[in-house]
Amino acid sequence: MLIVLAFSILSPDSFATIDNAINISRQISFLVIIALGATLVMAVGEFDLSVGAMASLGGVFAAKLAVAGYPLAVVILLPMLVALAIGYANGWIVTRFRVLSFITTLAMGTIIGGINFRITGGATVFENIPDSFRYLGQTEWGNVPLLSIIMLLMTVLFWYIMSHTAFGRKLYAIGGNESASRVAGVRVALNKNAAFALCSMLATLTGILMASRLGSAHPNGGDGLFLSAYAAAFLGMTSFKEGVPNVWGTFVGAAIIGILANGMTILNVPTFMQDVITGCIVIAAVLIQKLGRDRA
Amino acid sequence: MSLLKVAGLNKKFGQHYALSRIDFEIVPGEIHALVGENGAGKSTFIKIVTGVYAPDGGDIIWQGSPVVIADPSDARRIGINVVHQDRHLIPSFTGYENLYLGLPYPKSKTGIGVHWKQMRQRAARLMEEYGVRLDMNKTADRMSPPEKTMLEILRAMMLECKLLILDEPTASLTDQETEQLFALIRKLTEQGTAILYVSHRMDEIFRLSDRITVFRNGERVATVNRNETDKDRLISLMNNSEYKKSNREERAVPPGEPVLQVKELSTEDGKVDRVSLQVRQGEIVGIFGLAGAGRTELLEAIYGLRRISGGEIVIRGLRKKEADPRQSLDQGVVLIPEERKRDGLIMGMSIRENMTLPVLRKFSSGWKIRKKPEKAETKRWMEDMNVKASGPEQAVGQLSGGNQQKVVFAKALMSSPVLFLCDEPTQAVDIMTRDEIHRLLKHQADQGCAVLFVSSDLQEVLDISDRLYVLHEGRIAAELANRSVTPEQVLAYCFSQGKERGHQHG
Repeated sequence: MLIVLAFSILSPDSFATIDNAINISRQISFLVIIALGATLVMAVGEFDLSVGAMASLGGVFAAKLAVAGYPLAVVILLPMLVALAIGYANGWIVTRFRVLSFITTLAMGTIIGGINFRITGGATVFENIPDSFRYLGQTEWGNVPLLSIIMLLMTVLFWYIMSHTAFGRKLYAIGGNESASRVAGVRVALNKNAAFALCSMLATLTGILMASRLGSAHPNGGDGLFLSAYAAAFLGMTSFKEGVPNVWGTFVGAAIIGILANGMTILNVPTFMQDVITGCIVIAAVLIQKLGRDRA
Repeated sequence: MSLLKVAGLNKKFGQHYALSRIDFEIVPGEIHALVGENGAGKSTFIKIVTGVYAPDGGDIIWQGSPVVIADPSDARRIGINVVHQDRHLIPSFTGYENLYLGLPYPKSKTGIGVHWKQMRQRAARLMEEYGVRLDMNKTADRMSPPEKTMLEILRAMMLECKLLILDEPTASLTDQETEQLFALIRKLTEQGTAILYVSHRMDEIFRLSDRITVFRNGERVATVNRNETDKDRLISLMNNSEYKKSNREERAVPPGEPVLQVKELSTEDGKVDRVSLQVRQGEIVGIFGLAGAGRTELLEAIYGLRRISGGEIVIRGLRKKEADPRQSLDQGVVLIPEERKRDGLIMGMSIRENMTLPVLRKFSSGWKIRKKPEKAETKRWMEDMNVKASGPEQAVGQLSGGNQQKVVFAKALMSSPVLFLCDEPTQAVDIMTRDEIHRLLKHQADQGCAVLFVSSDLQEVLDISDRLYVLHEGRIAAELANRSVTPEQVLAYCFSQGKERGHQHG
């Protein structure tokens, strides 16, 4: 709130406009969707560090398929299936062999990064991309970008899953106390694997939407989203539900980061300073929450 | 002259005296055994002598002068060392490195490197002195249990050690390994080191010790010379005279069909060894055993939390195929775990979310959880079980221990079980809750449930079980119908070494 107010005062003509609000909603759509996945994995007490590479893979894989002339359904579904498999593999290694998810997904991210370069030969995929591929990212209904609508649908969907279904309840139970959940008959491995799989699929969706929006796909185009995704999820944990990863919190966290970036761009803050400031805000938010809890 | 003398030692935990007015004495070169039931105060006593706990009253006199042992390093400095059951070695370190734990490593001439040669020489001298043969290049995790015990004893001898406390040192050793250990212990006493030997094993105590001290309920009841007593007399000394005559009533309903049949069950880790037992409809069966007898492990294996290596579990005629708690719940088996915080409840979640976790299916239509019936049912159980809380949405972490345990029971009851597995169901709850839980178990049995429960409280086992098994080192030592069973009888089985193994001594 404070941030919005500050930017509105500093730059009333360009920040506090409806156009810019719509602009921001489009800009944060990628971050929100990828951060939703991170939130699921954090809910079960794990981390997935491969989301950035996964998003890049989604982008280049889908773009390549589009260039090769496959219909849009294939272009979207095939990368999603691959993501399902990779995410499930992440979960399987973590739950079956009790490897730290940090290590597993870091390695998986490295592998995927390598594959991305193999697929593209290191170059950006942009030639001969058909118009149909750009549909998802570039359509606007009236003034509202389709991307923003997809983002909202995803947020509502995962909010519903996490707070109104048995699956969501089980994910939170596992994150709260894995051992007690097992005693209570929750199939811990199965549910964790599912969380990892969904996370990878959301990352891939993010990559596809990005490529569609830009009309091109770079082999590490999604990598930059990885840290912001966790920053958003952490910010969300601190602003809602005291310390539990949650969907609306993540949405707000991503929005804060998006608004910051947008506002600072309008104010001509250099990119490197934007990163520094974003990082500082995340640390500050976590500290405030920690101090608040210690006092309680 | 006495080495360590303790007079009028008191230790209180809350309102409860863990130790009261303990007088104790040990002389140089003596092997002094300390025996007692679960909770008699042995561990507390050791912890005070080694500086882990501060006493609330009484004097400690070390070699004739009063001392205050403020912390464990204090104890080591004056020459008191302890070797625990749960070992304090660093698994990835070699024997040499473990030997020097907590001591400055000898420096090489440069003053920077470690003088390995000097370390090896010192270790070799030490081993020769005590007639121990150990490969000190091995890392601790590759050593066998007796090797580890010996390494720890050697480590204790690195500094001048006048009193060595061995806390159940032979819990996991074979006979031959035990012999080696005993030889080492005798060597130590020849040099004047006193040994305080804590063990459940009567055979060993009678072979090794000079004197035996018996603790009971935090008091020292006797100190006797080994050759002036025998096993039966010791057991009757340990036996709690405060045991009330069991107030068990003969249950009205005779037991029906078997609900649980366990045949020759063993776990992969060996904690449960070819256990066979059965529990019938309407029956309350108790399992008693000393700490480390494999009680918890047995229940976990039945429930599917622990991997089994052999044998079978049959529930209402159906053989359990895999170790899976979900399957157990679906077959009507519930576990009330011993460690409520770790295995029983999710402290950050609400009473409602905790209670309904095993039965979410019941409240789900399609994918959606119907929160109204969920809440209503939770409320109903909270009233039934008399849970004191602000409402179903309160986090269980904010409840008292007794109320938390009631939530655990309500959660179990929600899945309409046919078999209760209860691990220390009344541990750390107030006396009121304890009675409520006992009534509840009896009521469930009257309704046709089967109850199998573990308790380290013999009174509890004698009070509420229809039948009981005595567990000793992972095996069933006895099965007793609970008719005029005396505590002495039960304890005798606990303290006797497995007769099947054909021991000659004792």
